[in-house]
Amino acid sequence: MRTKDRIKSQDKHILNLAEIVGGTRSILYQKEDLVAYDCDGFTIHKHLPKAVVFPKNTQEVAEIVKYCSENNLPFLARGAGTGLSGGAIPLNGEIIISMVRMKKLISVDLENRRAVVEPGFVNLKLTNSISDKGYYYAPDPSSQYCCTIGGNVAENAGGAHCLKYGVTTNHILGLEVVMPNGEIVEIGKDGIPDAPGYDLLGLITGSEGTLGIVTKITVRVLKNPEGKQTVLAYFDRVEDGSQAVSDIISAGIVPAALEMMDKTAIEGVEAAAFPVGHPKDIEAVLLIEVDGIAAGIEEQIDQILEVCRKRNVREVRAAGSEEERARWWANRKTGFGAMGAISPDYLVQDGVIPRSKLPDVLSRINQISSESGLRIANIFHAGDGNLHPLVLFDARIPGESEKALEAGSQCLKVCADVGGTITGEHGVGIEKREEMRFVFTEEEIAAQTDIREVFNPHNLLNAGKLFPSPGRCAEVKKEMKAQAIS
Amino acid sequence: MSVRELDLKQEPPCTSGLGNYLWSDPPDEKKWADCVHCGMCLESCPTYEQTGQEQHSPRGRVHLIKSVAEGKLQVNEQFMDPVFQCLDCRACTTACPADVDVGGLIEEARGQIRQAMPLTGVKGAISKFFLHDLFPHQNRLNTLGGLLKFYQKSGMQKAVRKTKLINIMPKHLVDMESIMPEVKEPVKKKYQDVKVIKAKGETKQEVAMLTGCVMDVMFSDINESTINVLTRNGNDVVIPQSQTCCGALHVHAGDRDMGRKLAKQNMEAFKDFDKVIVNAAGCGCMMKEYAELFKEDPELHAKAEEFSEKVEDISKFLHDTGYEKPKAEMNTRITYHDACHLAHGQGIRQQPRDILLDIPGVDMVHMPNSDRCCGSAGIYNITNPEMANAVLESKMENVPDDVEMISMGNPGCMLQMAMGVQKYGRNQKIVHTVQLLDWAYQKEDGVKEGKE
Repeated sequence: MRTKDRIKSQDKHILNLAEIVGGTRSILYQKEDLVAYDCDGFTIHKHLPKAVVFPKNTQEVAEIVKYCSENNLPFLARGAGTGLSGGAIPLNGEIIISMVRMKKLISVDLENRRAVVEPGFVNLKLTNSISDKGYYYAPDPSSQYCCTIGGNVAENAGGAHCLKYGVTTNHILGLEVVMPNGEIVEIGKDGIPDAPGYDLLGLITGSEGTLGIVTKITVRVLKNPEGKQTVLAYFDRVEDGSQAVSDIISAGIVPAALEMMDKTAIEGVEAAAFPVGHPKDIEAVLLIEVDGIAAGIEEQIDQILEVCRKRNVREVRAAGSEEERARWWANRKTGFGAMGAISPDYLVQDGVIPRSKLPDVLSRINQISSESGLRIANIFHAGDGNLHPLVLFDARIPGESEKALEAGSQCLKVCADVGGTITGEHGVGIEKREEMRFVFTEEEIAAQTDIREVFNPHNLLNAGKLFPSPGRCAEVKKEMKAQAIS
Repeated sequence: MSVRELDLKQEPPCTSGLGNYLWSDPPDEKKWADCVHCGMCLESCPTYEQTGQEQHSPRGRVHLIKSVAEGKLQVNEQFMDPVFQCLDCRACTTACPADVDVGGLIEEARGQIRQAMPLTGVKGAISKFFLHDLFPHQNRLNTLGGLLKFYQKSGMQKAVRKTKLINIMPKHLVDMESIMPEVKEPVKKKYQDVKVIKAKGETKQEVAMLTGCVMDVMFSDINESTINVLTRNGNDVVIPQSQTCCGALHVHAGDRDMGRKLAKQNMEAFKDFDKVIVNAAGCGCMMKEYAELFKEDPELHAKAEEFSEKVEDISKFLHDTGYEKPKAEMNTRITYHDACHLAHGQGIRQQPRDILLDIPGVDMVHMPNSDRCCGSAGIYNITNPEMANAVLESKMENVPDDVEMISMGNPGCMLQMAMGVQKYGRNQKIVHTVQLLDWAYQKEDGVKEGKE
């Protein structure tokens, strides 16, 4: 904390922005500090922002936005910077508006099952603040220990338990948004979301920070399920594991979560900080959690054990204690970061496929892996067909980043080809802009950018994300991608 | 930190460097290769909690340290700020899914910074006084202890406080003065002529004990308690007189050469023993990491690794080798604070709690976020008082109201938490885990209870 420092910049924009946020502690503008903001959880593209500002309230956000808009300065909002598609990377040297100091839990209204938070409030903290009263916030992305709810809204984040409870958009009741011209609007006033007219909440949620900056969020909170239990199952063949997933759903069980990891992923999590002792020679591990009324749980668990046995499971058992259950989940939830233990860099993809295509898609991903010479680990929300192929590479080896991007893109192509799509919960960001063409035509993309123009007419807010640049031929795009990497 | 860059630049020697790290012993590339920038460390970091800024987060610091190696940044004042603002509490290492050794990287980067920009002026003089002229010299520390004792006993302390003479000191030093424990005779000096302090009853084994530099002056009664507890449980205790400061404060400050010097001296002093018992988490953690200092010297590296195996915290040692459960009722409500360098640094969490729970009548109340740093962090509370106070404030918010004592295993934390208690109008007594055990034994033996 450098209290006595003065702003050491001659840049009038820096000085004016510092004025808005109230001094040196709330603005970063020197290179050594800015380097820490040159990427988020997606590390392949890097670009320095012009400055980072830390507003304390909606009013300051509005003033910053107004200033940027009037002075033609590109800008974007950033939460904890854990996004995996590059949504918070300042591609155009943006002014980054960091929302992390707006981190209050404004109010909790358990009677009406809702809570109001500022965007910088950390996801898991909401559950922690209300768990003693028997309530929780359902969307649980793996990064929930540190990601912000504002970021969750921007990306429409999912998580392991979205199979039963839905993704972020299903839990948002109201938003306060600063529009790209600095105007403050409220959508879904007093937590009553179903206003007549178009579903604006749905439009803003998942817009990846391209339509406005969310400054206050009303979320739905849920009563803790009376009971929950988790089953762990090891399979010698991926096909058996996948088939078990389908069988469980067909049996009419709706698990709270149904997760799968393949052999390479298991190698990663076992080499990292939260190993649980999964055997090294199995092809797939399933984590299946059921929750709900205590009376029904045991029966569902028995059913699940039975299904797994029918599908040649090597070993299957329910957690013996809450501590064991927590260990299994910590192992799974830190899975992405754990890849650091077996590879210097990774690229995580986020495809969605029909569940029945799982064995087929996995074998095609294996093929991509052997063709590219890069290892690909698979961690996925098997229950809803949300696949996370993790392409392992070493950015220090020339050409390997490009190869990884190419392999990732091919994985998404496979997903799109079998009738799925290119993102389930991580967003498009920078990473999957071009892949939008796998699922949308030029016209469909143009229709969406037309919507953006209504909100963000000068495209100063988070430009260059979510959509491919229009009408360029594929070769040029490839070249641009290569340039962006180098 | 307003020394001009021109004053600072020294000519780098022509040794192996890495990118813009020009000196030997640069940050270890392998350590950051594990970081995939996932951000799971963010919420564990006290300085990120306070600032919300990436460069003050573990992932941000790793990113900056890596950027210097890649030649994107220079080792300069602006780079120094995030690297020295780190408390080195290691909470990020616990949180990290890939076990990235952030603490190790920070210490290596500090080593580079201190060589590129040696401290000059007042700050340099103060640092040199503490790190070179004071801590490594037990006799000087003892003299200082004697002066403190005189200050406390002679009525001077009262006079200074009464006449408001104390107000000429900076605020954070005033706070520290007010909680200074009563200085007693250092254990190392007391037992200088005793070769072996014999176990009471049958001897199970012989152990050596690190008395520590600050510990032995400020908290010699804890050293005394450690000896009592060890001898009561069948251990002969030896206090090698040639031992010195562990060097943690030096390594934290980037003075790795001095750290190496002290490490070598300690490795020599303790070479004839199978166990080196430590009652200060910070010292224990440092001594378990001596090998880090000798990465470029395979012979010493191997020797250091062997040495580190022998180093053990008192709570783990008692837990693993067994101890007599005290019989006297202590009848007190306590809470436990995890010292960073015990919990995050050495993975010791349950053992001290088990010991405390074995004392009859001890009612343990859970402290939320008990493994959050208190802001002491060696001498961080002297060098970075503003941040240390902010971290302390958030620590104190978690201390339960209705407890009489806060137990912990590190002298730095004890001073800091005592300051917290005083500053926020609380009334808890700060104790070391072995002290409480010792008092229970003494009560059982009908001896007047410890400090009471």
